Amino acid sequence: MSFEVPSEGHLHWTEKEYNESRSSVLKTIIILSVVTVVEVGVAMVYDSLVTDGSGKIFVNLFMAIASVVKVWYIMGIFMHLGHETKGFKLTVLFPFLFLIWAIIAFTMEGDSWNAMRSLLNGF
Amino acid sequence: MAAATVSHEQAHEHLTEQELWKGGRSPFKAGYGKVMMWYFLISDTFTFASFLIAYGALRFTMAESWPKASEVFSSIPMDMFHGVKAPLVFVSFMTFLLIVSSYTMVRAVQEGYRMNKWGVVKFLVPTILCGILFLLCQYLEWTHLIHDGMTATTASETTKVVNFGQLFFIITGFHGLHVLGGVILNTWLMIAAMNGRFEKVGHYEMVEKLGLYWHFVDLVWVYVFLCFYLL
Repeated sequence: MSFEVPSEGHLHWTEKEYNESRSSVLKTIIILSVVTVVEVGVAMVYDSLVTDGSGKIFVNLFMAIASVVKVWYIMGIFMHLGHETKGFKLTVLFPFLFLIWAIIAFTMEGDSWNAMRSLLNGF
Repeated sequence: MAAATVSHEQAHEHLTEQELWKGGRSPFKAGYGKVMMWYFLISDTFTFASFLIAYGALRFTMAESWPKASEVFSSIPMDMFHGVKAPLVFVSFMTFLLIVSSYTMVRAVQEGYRMNKWGVVKFLVPTILCGILFLLCQYLEWTHLIHDGMTATTASETTKVVNFGQLFFIITGFHGLHVLGGVILNTWLMIAAMNGRFEKVGHYEMVEKLGLYWHFVDLVWVYVFLCFYLL
């Protein structure tokens, strides 16, 4: 019985490819750790300095951008998407465009629900 | 196909065009299993995204009374740290467990691509251990929060709204279920690698396929962490 499973992937690396991949992965884990430490640091400093919630929007914006940076590196380097063909990158990334509209639409919906509740509380 | 003695590349040439993907050749120059794993992960992304967007919508409906993360997750859920105010410390540790396990997983994938059997096993062991440790941490955190009165149907003094607990337990629970699945799959992978299964197959693509799944678990945690603990 033969176990051989055919695949057209690039499944056997040279030492050079292996070493290049190792150094880029090492760089990525350092970036991910630093970004996480900075995120937690900003959250802690903000919570200890600000109690009335002013400027929270800028903190949230920073957290959202930092998370996108982390996901970019996880997908690009760890999941190796950066080395796939252009068509494959596009088929993976295109569906996420729908989520951008979903986030905008549903948060607006929630906001308007909130506004309507405050109207009802008048009765 | 007398494949037992020929190398993987040679065996490749003997295949008819239809045998690769039944449609000529592999699209995207990638293996079938890997492409399908990516498509599964896209569908799973949409499941998690629906949960997290529901979280966002519900939070906006009660923006004024929504609890602050630093008050709900204010302590380390272990007896020796009882009463110590340390917001975010414990969950940051959990985040690091997943980042470290992602790193060891990608190292296992690299070792697989140079056919280093024991290298794969060596890096899968810390990956599995970090996954188990993450689940233990989640167990501690959940028991602590439930003890405080925050359950899927009740709110504690700090959470104020019931929806916070509902969303927290459903979303982190669904993520924890993915971690559990990953731990089980990685354990199978380690045993299969030790038994020399992938040397018979001719390549270690399976390590990359399950690696993709494991990185996805880390990727989702980035957003769960963002929504519940940072925003």
